[in-house]
This record gives sequence, structure tokens and C-alpha cells, in this order.
Amino acid sequence: MAETLTKPHDEEPLIEGNQTYASLTETVAGVVQRQKDHPKAWFVAFVLGFGLVNVLLLSITYLVYMGIGIWGNNQPVAWSFDIINFVWWIGIGHAGTLISAILLLMRQEWRTSINRFAEAMTIFAVMCAGMYPLLHTGRPWVAYWLLPYPNILAMWPQPRSPLVWDVFAVSTYMTVSILFWYTGLVPDLATLRERVKNRFAKVLAGMGSLGWRGSAKHWMRYEQAYIILAGLSTPLVLSVHTIVSFDFAVSILPGWQATIFPPYFVAGAVYAGFAMVLTFMIPMRRWYRIEHLVTMNHIDWMAKIMLTTGLIVFYGYIVEVFYAWYSANPYEQFMMWNRWHGPYAPAYWLLILCNGVIPQLLWSKKNRRNLKLVFAVSLVVSLGMWLERFIIIPVSLHRDFLPSSWGMYYPTIWDFGMFFGTIGFFVMMMFLFVRFIPMISIFEVRELWSRIRPQRAEVKEVEA
Amino acid sequence: MEETKTQTGLDIEEIRRRLRGERGQRYWRSLEEVAETPEFQQFLEDEFPNRSSLLDLDRRSFLKVMGASLALAGLSGCRFLPKEKIVPYVKAPEEVVPGKPTYYATAMPFAGSSIGLIAKAVMGRPIKLEGNESHPWSLGASDVFSQAAILALYDPDRGTTVKNRGFVATWEEFLAEARKVLPQAKGVRLVVGDVASPTLERQLAEFQAIYPNAKIVRHEPVSRANVREGAKIALGREALPVHDFSKARVVLAVDADFLASMPGSVRYAREFAGTRRVDEENQSLSRLYCVEPAPTPTGILADHRLPIAQADLEGFLQHVAYLAGAASQPGAANLAPESFWNGLAKDLRSAGAQAAVVVGDACTPAAHALAIAIQAKLGSVGSTVRYVAAPAVRSDQRLSALVTDLESGAADAVLFLQANPVYSSGLGERLGKAIGKAKLSACFDLYETETAAACSWYLPAPHFLEDWSDARALDGTVSIVQPLVEPLHDTLSVHSLLPALMNRPSEPLAEVRKTWAVDDKTWRTWLNEGVASVPKAAELPVPATVQAPVGRSRRVDGFEVAIRPDPTVWDGTFANNGWLQELPKPFTKLTWDNAVHLSFSAAESLKVSNGDVVRVTLGERSVEGPAWILPGLAKNTVLLHLGYGRRAGGRVAEGAGFDVYPLTSEDSPWGGVGARVEKTGKRAVLASAQMHFSMEGRDIVRMGTMEEYRRNPSLKPEHAHGEAPRDLTLYSDEEKRREQEGVQQWGMAIDLNLCMGCNACVTACQAENNIPVVGKDQVQRGREMHWIRIDHYYGPRAGDGSGDNPTHVVQPINCMQCENAPCEPVCPVAATVHSHEGLNQMVYNRCVGTRYCSNNCPYKVRRFNYLNYQFAQKNFDRKEDIPLLKLLNNPDVTVRGRGVMEKCTYCVQRINAARIEAKKKGRDIRDGEVVTACQQACPSQAIVFGDVSDPNSRVSQIKRNQRNYALLGELNTRPRTTYLARVTNPNPEIEA
Repeated sequence: MAETLTKPHDEEPLIEGNQTYASLTETVAGVVQRQKDHPKAWFVAFVLGFGLVNVLLLSITYLVYMGIGIWGNNQPVAWSFDIINFVWWIGIGHAGTLISAILLLMRQEWRTSINRFAEAMTIFAVMCAGMYPLLHTGRPWVAYWLLPYPNILAMWPQPRSPLVWDVFAVSTYMTVSILFWYTGLVPDLATLRERVKNRFAKVLAGMGSLGWRGSAKHWMRYEQAYIILAGLSTPLVLSVHTIVSFDFAVSILPGWQATIFPPYFVAGAVYAGFAMVLTFMIPMRRWYRIEHLVTMNHIDWMAKIMLTTGLIVFYGYIVEVFYAWYSANPYEQFMMWNRWHGPYAPAYWLLILCNGVIPQLLWSKKNRRNLKLVFAVSLVVSLGMWLERFIIIPVSLHRDFLPSSWGMYYPTIWDFGMFFGTIGFFVMMMFLFVRFIPMISIFEVRELWSRIRPQRAEVKEVEA
Repeated sequence: MEETKTQTGLDIEEIRRRLRGERGQRYWRSLEEVAETPEFQQFLEDEFPNRSSLLDLDRRSFLKVMGASLALAGLSGCRFLPKEKIVPYVKAPEEVVPGKPTYYATAMPFAGSSIGLIAKAVMGRPIKLEGNESHPWSLGASDVFSQAAILALYDPDRGTTVKNRGFVATWEEFLAEARKVLPQAKGVRLVVGDVASPTLERQLAEFQAIYPNAKIVRHEPVSRANVREGAKIALGREALPVHDFSKARVVLAVDADFLASMPGSVRYAREFAGTRRVDEENQSLSRLYCVEPAPTPTGILADHRLPIAQADLEGFLQHVAYLAGAASQPGAANLAPESFWNGLAKDLRSAGAQAAVVVGDACTPAAHALAIAIQAKLGSVGSTVRYVAAPAVRSDQRLSALVTDLESGAADAVLFLQANPVYSSGLGERLGKAIGKAKLSACFDLYETETAAACSWYLPAPHFLEDWSDARALDGTVSIVQPLVEPLHDTLSVHSLLPALMNRPSEPLAEVRKTWAVDDKTWRTWLNEGVASVPKAAELPVPATVQAPVGRSRRVDGFEVAIRPDPTVWDGTFANNGWLQELPKPFTKLTWDNAVHLSFSAAESLKVSNGDVVRVTLGERSVEGPAWILPGLAKNTVLLHLGYGRRAGGRVAEGAGFDVYPLTSEDSPWGGVGARVEKTGKRAVLASAQMHFSMEGRDIVRMGTMEEYRRNPSLKPEHAHGEAPRDLTLYSDEEKRREQEGVQQWGMAIDLNLCMGCNACVTACQAENNIPVVGKDQVQRGREMHWIRIDHYYGPRAGDGSGDNPTHVVQPINCMQCENAPCEPVCPVAATVHSHEGLNQMVYNRCVGTRYCSNNCPYKVRRFNYLNYQFAQKNFDRKEDIPLLKLLNNPDVTVRGRGVMEKCTYCVQRINAARIEAKKKGRDIRDGEVVTACQQACPSQAIVFGDVSDPNSRVSQIKRNQRNYALLGELNTRPRTTYLARVTNPNPEIEA
């Protein structure tokens, strides 16, 4: 077991082709260096993202001007797209943290080709997520009252509220993610500093590389810092979404008040995160010809993690059903009945299809290596995870205790404007990232190569 | 010496010297400042004078400061609040103490009757109307119309100036022309409604004396003509019944909504409630039979409710008369099962003098005559009912004759005095055209109505709070209508207008006093009491045997149309009142619209669902409107409400709903038989404040029959969990208990046995608490702002699964002020917190608007300002320099801006006002000193508020009733508002 864990590349190499250190560096750094060689797809995606960012800006401006009323939220459904999207984005970020922290500590070498990319996704996803809790407040200009800061009123946030825990969880998450990402970037920025010809880029990279010269001392300190940060991030993988789930689990609302929520949310987050990594990685490895770095093996493993976490999530759904029945609580039972037969039942069954049924295709190795299929499944999972939050938030709220106050929720154009706007922001940031920052950790790939190559050389010698 | 001087001491001499040298005004904060000591200089330079230096901080405080302060420096300056100018009184008027309200007795005239009110004014502006306790037809309570009347005073859409053909004119111009035209006119017509003012009646008579060719045309869209006519048949004279339900043991209400909309309902509800209180000692309940085509709030409280077509009511009463021995001929016995007739007859006969038969205004004169006969036979006249002479009103002409006269030119001067027949009659269109032929046509009204548009002159009328007048109530009780403010606009009292037309200008006060020639002292007593000590209407003797015509059922071919005044906008008079437009109507909870109400089975057979536009044809006329299913309607009855489809009369009124008046005629104002209903294929969107009307088998409204109550006095269903035991907690509430010890604890009890869902509390709350109107679109999105709502549920009546006659239950829901409030722990900024007195408080200023509290509220009583509703209201004010609607706001209640949560506060401002008074006297607030707005308005006194920590307070006593239960008590929220289960008293002999 330990053997296979530490050497997953025994069967198939993690870096394909006849590579040298120089060729590896060239592949990755070249993307940043040769600004004119970007594929057309980059422009298409960037323009799309940029266009949607404008929609986002428009939506935010109008939102702040008019108030939350431009959305479809109402009484009883006081939260809807705002919190769905918040949870969805936070969840998407989780793959990055898991890959960088946990896989690092577990010495999973296959993480090296995808960690930079996934970490960037984490940061952008948390940025998208962070917009919602701020803007969804009725008076966003006083949303800073959720932060603990000394003031003459001697008013502090109310510490029993999960929303305050959220503030800490998400801001910690953001801080650590940025630190982690940037720390890993320093040696690569130094590489860029040496390679780029453009004076301006050289200065920028030079400043960013913080005087990195690659001395043994630097490397020693770097390794220490990186491991410490990985240690800090590890609990975050579990804690952030656990706390996000408390927003619901702490309440008394049927459909929210569930002890299964923390593990089920964490699994869901990783599930959604890997789906998003795959969604971006599959086209990107082709457009930038990095198939030899992000190999079919990588795709395979990510699909496996998706399958595993998907099963945990599905287990969560089953537990919810079981407890609705087992609790003998009529409100819980009705909540489940309403999910199955109520006005939003199609969303529930679509969720089961997306998150429970379709991902089962990934049991087959053949399917896991079918790029189109994996890509499709990853999109389906993203949709499914969005629907999951839709089922949890508005569908629980719209019919709670007193039937007199039951209502319906219909999103407005501005709900979608915000949602697609953040997707656009995310796409734009990702494409800016691949253009200006090495999307794969150059030095880590080289280091991996250094460990893979000798083995291959030995094989060759034996054969010879 | 030197040291003390610079470090701590003050040089008094130096200060004196400096101050002497000053010229003009100089303000100084302290002696240190004057002395310009170095410490003071440092104090000034320091931004936060009392904070210690960063270096002095210990580690924990340092972290606190560092936590966020540096990152957020300066953010606190980012709030914008509107700048306003304020101007103080230069000379303070007498009796006006800033912050102290003044109260005046007045009365609201309404549809030929009136209700006595107490108006509350703050700094000279009236802000709230309450019932007048000493007025017999209010008894301190009120109804939706009197609660909402205050809004009309400040309505920016009210007519503000005289207009001639749409152009601004003056009163002088109008009077000049009128004085010129009237003496030469061939025929003068004054169109008035049922006038409650004796002064106006006197003036009308005087007017006719001066202008002999003047005729008075009565036009009251929702009139009591049938009642008067019925009495004339039976007693030979026009009379009105005055009931006394406090003496009634058995009540038969025939299409009579005597608890909510019939004239006198406020008092009737109180009387009836007195016979419906159940506790351990008093277990005898009165019994209410309701027979009605359309469900009414009265029907909600009925022990037996029978939906019967309007056309069958006469036949029904005939059979009752037959069974009671008041008629020899049987009536329509097929309308009810045998056991119903037997049970009803037995009940009525055994109740005898304690039986009451109430017949609604829409019933035929014959039906009213039958009711008199039945009551005479039962001997209840003089006990549960008196017949008083109807006020002698002159009516020389009907509206149709007026139209003919105008068309022929026989009448060439017409004046509409607060009557709007161009809209509110079936003849509207013809009348509108005919008016154009008159030499002089003028419409005197609060708004520029449809009639005003047809007339050449529009004359703005004052609101009753701006005008002197007098008003008769149902039984002839007279109140003086006392103004609270100078007229806001260029209006003229009707009492001045008529004298001016008669060429003898006079003031309204003088005119009213002329009617009641009493000395100043008596007059002042009248004003103070709100009731004039004048004889009431004469009581008519009723013989033991009254001959009534034989009541007959009419055959219903197809559908029957029942036309009724709207429960919120009445006949259209209140159509421009946003509070009433947005007030969810009983049963349907519709707002901003009327609908074609169909019974369950009619909708089924027509394949119509809610919102399908249907065409209703009655005779040759038809109207189109959206359908709405109303379970409880008689099978083939189509219920239509008046008051909508206004074409003029204000921005709120115009465009809402559809006009039903085309289906009415002078002879049949209440609809008729032989109607057709067809689908048009169009759809309309209606805004209902409640979407789901089934309790889903949950333990929400507890109810049971008397028999069940005797078996199980709590009426808790077997499966229900009930309230969580108080001692079952992991957490000690020692701290909470200590905090609350010796402090008054507020609580509320609502007796569901008394609540019929009349909505008075909802409007009262809206008026008291500055609750904004949000509009149809927002209601449709589920964002209405009412702090108290009336939940309505249907339950199947035993044995009838058709859905055509379900049980109705209503439940007023306001904030429960939970002791374990789920909203409180989830607020991230502590904007909703608990007070020592047990109130769950909202701190609006602190609210960020995360809405988590609302999500976690199991009662969903919280309301969120999704948009800037108050600001939208401001935009509604036409003139920017006079924000009229702002004048209406209660200064003791914060006006909430956008993005904050709000909810019922138990009228904390009233608690605080009472506390101030109590503290001045050095005692606790006494029981009954705090009356919440909803409690005050409630006609049946179903709502009781008070100190629950005092075992002798009324609310504590009521909460000790075995029927008391906490809504959703199993959640352990420990609500302070509790409910008393509903007990019905069906006749065991009647098979349901």
C-alpha cells in the first residue's frame, strides 16, 4: 500500500517524453515569455470573461444603488443565489488547498503538475465567494461591522453567530492561500527574472522573486516555510467548509439543522473543486501543449478523487433521507417530501442525477481516460454542486414551519447577472494567470524529473 | 509652586484675564481650554483623548487594537445620511409640548353612520386614530377604515385646489358663477350619499327652501335601503335594527357580517365576544349559525355555516319563520338537511328572547321583514334587538331620474357632494355624458374623482380631521366631528359651501353649533367626551305578531352574481389608500386587486384556475376580471367586490382591479341571477400575501368543539408534542433569571375564539409603526411589510370533502418575542437582542441586513427592507417642499431605511411612554397602562397584553386558561405571545 502511494508513477511516468531540465523550463516559462504565441482560445476565453466582468460591475453598481430587492430574495426565502454562490465558490477553492497542502504532506508527487494551477483557482474562487457575503447584506457599507475592531461604541461582533465564524474562516483561508501560493511562486519568479527579455517584466519578476538566488540556504528556508504553510493549510481544508456548513447546521430550520453537514460539505467542496480543476485543465493542457506534464495519469487520479468525494456526498444525501424518516419529526419529513415532490422537485432529481448518478461513470478506467467524458462529467458535477446548495438554501426556506408563510422564490436577471459575472471574473483571472505567471511549478517539475530520470536511466542501463 | 501651575493647577487669574479680553461669543469646553494649559493642548491634538498610548497596551489589548483597526482606519466616515433643515418654534404655541402628544375626540362619518374616535396629534399633526371608549359604537376599538383614515389626510393625491375644466381656479370664481347660475337654473340637483351629519341635512333642507327647484338625489353605492324598506313593510316605518349580542345565546346571521363590515360591527364584535369566552368556570358558549352566499369574517366564527345562494336567502328565512311559528307557509326546506332545520328551530325556540336573527344589508326587504317577524315571535325584540327610527333623509329623486333630467335639460345645475356616481353606479357612463349638458356642474370631493372629471368644476373637500361637523351613529348617537388641523389645502367645508351658495356665508363651526344650540359648557363637554348628550333615535314598538310577506327563493340559472363592498377599499371611497390596498383581504389574502371569486366546484367545472381572466355576464352587461377560487362560496355564486377599476381619483386607486359597477343597477345593487361566466384565455397576475392555506396536519391552530374541550381542555392534538419542558436544558438560565428578577415581563395572549380576522389590528399596527406600503409588485414577490398578519387556514368540515364549505380558521401572528429567540444568536452584529423585560429588540442602526434572523425565525414574522420603501414613499409625495406623507409618521418610532430588518416590537414606544409616566410617580407600570396598537384596535378584545410576571395581570390570568398554548412550542422558543385554542359550539343534534 505504502509502495503504491509513494510511487504512483511506477507504472506510468508522471512526466512523459524525453525531457531535459531545459525543455521542462522552456515548456512552462515559455508560455509567459512568448506573449505572442498564445492560442486563439485564450482571447476568446478572456474576452468572454472580461465581458461578464462588466456585467458583474453593472450588477454590483445597481445592487448597491437599489438594494437587495433587485434580486428575487423575499420573505421567507431571505437567502438564495447570494449564499448559494458564496458556498459554491468557496467549495471550488477547496481542491487547490487539498492539492497543495494535504497531497504535499502525503508526498503525492503527481500534485506538482497541477498545484500552482489549482492554488490560483483557490484564490480566484475565494475572491468570487467573498463578494457575496459582503454585497448580500442590506447595507454593504456597514458590512465591516462583522469584523472585530475597536470602536468608541465598544461594540464587537456577536460571537455566537456562525456568520462571524465565517468571516474568520474565509479571511484566514484567503490569507493562507495567498501566502502559500506566493511562497511557491518565488523560485519560479526568479527563473522568469533570468529568462525574460522585456525590461519591464524583468523588473516585475525581479521584485516578485524577493531576491531569490537559489542558494542552498534559500532552498532550505523555502522548504521549511512551505511545509509550515502546508501544515497551516491542512486544517483549513476541513475547517473552512465545516464553518460554512455551520451557517446552516446551527439554525433550527428543517433541511439546515443537520449534524452530517460538516463532513458532507467538506467532501462536496473537494468534489466541486476537482471538477473545476478538470474543467480548466483539460482544455488548457491541450492549448498550451503541456500534455506531457499534465498526463492522463493526472486526469485519472483527479477523476478518482472526484468519484470518491462524490460518493461521500451521495452518502450525505442518503443520510439526510434516513434521518428525515428516523427522526419522526414531521417538519423534517415534510422537508424531504417537499424536495421530492414540491415545486422545486426537478432541481432535486437533477441534483441526484448530476452528483449521484452520472459521476458513477468514473468507475471505469476507460472512462476516466476519455477526456471528453471527464470534461463533461466535471461540468455536470459543478452544476450538481450548485444545485445542491440551491436545494439546501431556498428549497428549505421556502416551506418551513408555518404553511401560511410559505412562498416561492424566483431569481431575477440580476441574480444571474451577479452569478455569471463572478464566473466571468473567475475566467478572466484564470486566463490572466496562465498568461503572466507560470501555470506549473517549474522548479517542482524539475525536481520531480530529477527523481524520475535516474530511475529511467537505470532501466535503460539494465536493458542495455 | 511653579510646577503645580504648569502641571495640574489652573491659574484663575490668567483665565479671568483671558476671558475679559474676549469680544463677542467664545465657546470654551473647560477651564483648561481657557487657560490654554499644555495638557489641554495635548488633549486637543490627540484624536482619541482617552486612549492610552499604544506602548502602554498589554499584549491582549494590543492584539485587539491591531486586529482590524489599522486596516479599517477611516471606514467609519463612509456613511451618508440625508441633510435636513430644522426650524424651531419662534413662539411656542400653547399646549404644545414637544414630544408630548395631545388627544382630541372626534368622529369619522362613514356611509351614513359614524364611529367615535380619539385622534392623537404630535406637535399639531394628527398621526393616529383610535376608538373612543365613551362612544357606544366604538367602545375604544375601531375598524380598518377608521384606522386607515388618517392616511387620506396626508394623501398627496388629494385635491388641493378648485379646478375649472382642469385648470386651477379659485373658490371665489366658483361661487361667483354658482350664484349667477343657480337662481336662474331650471332645475338644481344636489347629489349626496347617506349623510350622517344632522347639520348637513339641515343645510340641505335650507338649500331647498332657498332654491325651490332644487332636488336632492341620494346615491350611496352600498346602501342600507333594503333594511329600511324591510322595516317599512313589517312595521310601517323606515327603521334600523340595533342589536345587542351580549344578550344573545343563539345567533342566526343571514348573509350578515355583523362582526366585521356591517354598520355597528365594532360594538357587535365586542358584545358577541363576551358570549364566546370559555374558561374553567364559564363553559356556556353562545351558538352562531351563519347562512351566507360568500364567506365573511363572521362566518369564520360560526358554529354552523351553510353556504346558500343569495337568491335562496329569502326562502331560507321563510322556512325559519315557519319553524319558529312566525309564518304559516314553509319555505325552501330543501336548502338544509333535516337535522339542521330541527336543530336550528329548537335552538331558536328555546333561546326565545335570547335569540337574535341578523340579516345582511344585501338581503331583500322581504327577508328583513321576515327577520322582524321571527324575532317578534321569539320575543327577542327589546332584548337582543331594538328597532330605531331611521334618520329622516330627504330624497326627491333617484339617480336614473337625474340622468333623464340632465339629458332632457330639466336639470341644468348639479352639485355632487362627496358622491361619485359616474364611477359608483351602473349608470355611470350615461351620467358622465349627461353632466356635460348642465350649465353648472361641480363635484365636491376629497379626490378628483371620475365624477369630478365629468363636471366642469372640481371643488376640493376637507378631510374630516380638518373640518367641523357632526355625525350620527347607528342608533342616533351624535358626535361632534372636531378638526385637528387647519386644512392642509385650499378646501372649503361643506358646511360653508352650502351657505355660500345660499348667499349667506358662514363658518362650519357656527353652522354646527347652530344645529345644536347648547351653551359653551355643554358644547365643551361634548367635544371632550366625543359624544353629544342628545336623545338617540326613537325606538319603535314592535307588535308580537308581525305580518311579513312570504319569502321565496329565486331560481338560479347558471350563475348568481353577488356584489359586495370590498373588505378593504369598500365602494371605492378608500381606493387611493395604500394601507387599505395593501391590506390582505380576509380569506383570499389578495392585495391591490379584486377578483371574480368562484367556488371550488364552479372553478372545477369551468376549468378555471387562479389568475385566469374570466368574463362575467349579467343581463346585457359584462365585466372581465381574474378568477380566484374562494372555498366557502355557495356553489353557483360568483362573488364580486366593488371599489376597483377606478379611472380617476389618485395614483394608488387608478388601474387597480376591475370595475364591477357596470353589473349593478339601481334596483339590483347586490347582483342577480342568471349570470354567465366564460374563460377569456387571458391571464392576470394577482398578488396574494398568503399562498398556502392548509395546516398540513400541523399543530398550529388548536381547535375543537365544546364537547372535545370538556374532554381535553387544552385541545392539544394527540400527536402534537406541545411545549418543551422548561427544566430540560443543558444550559443554566440562572443569569437570565437574575436579570429579569423584579423587572416587568411583557407578554401577550390572543384568544382564537374571538378573532374573526377583521384586519383592524393590521392597519392599526401599520399606522402606529410607520410601516411602509410596498406596492403590488413587491407583495407578489413576498415582501409585504406588515408586522402583524392574519394567517388563514382551511380545514375540511367533517363529512364534506368537496372543498365547498371548509372550516375557516384565522390566527393573528406578530413577533412572538421568544424567550429563546432563534433570531438572536445568529445575528453577527448583535442587532437583535433581548431586553430585561423579555422583549426581542431590533436595533435598526446596528442592523447590517444579513437576513439570517429571518431565516431562523420559525414564525417568519421578520420583515426586511429589500428596497428603500420609505424613500419610495417620499418620491410619491408630489411636492418636494411639502413631504406630506412624512407628517404622518409616528415620531416615537424609527423610520427604517433600506437594508434593515424590522418586526413587531410589542409597541415598545408605548411601553416606554407608560414607563416614563410610571417612573415619575415612582411605581411600576400598572396593568392596562400599556395597550399595544393591535390590542387597542381589536373590536373583540381578542388580544391582551401585559406583564406576565405579575400573576394578577389580565394577561397572566388569561394565560392560565387551559386553552393557552405556545405556537410551535416544541421548538423550545418559549414565545411570549401565546394563543388560546378555539372552541366551537356546534349543535350536537345537527349532523355535519
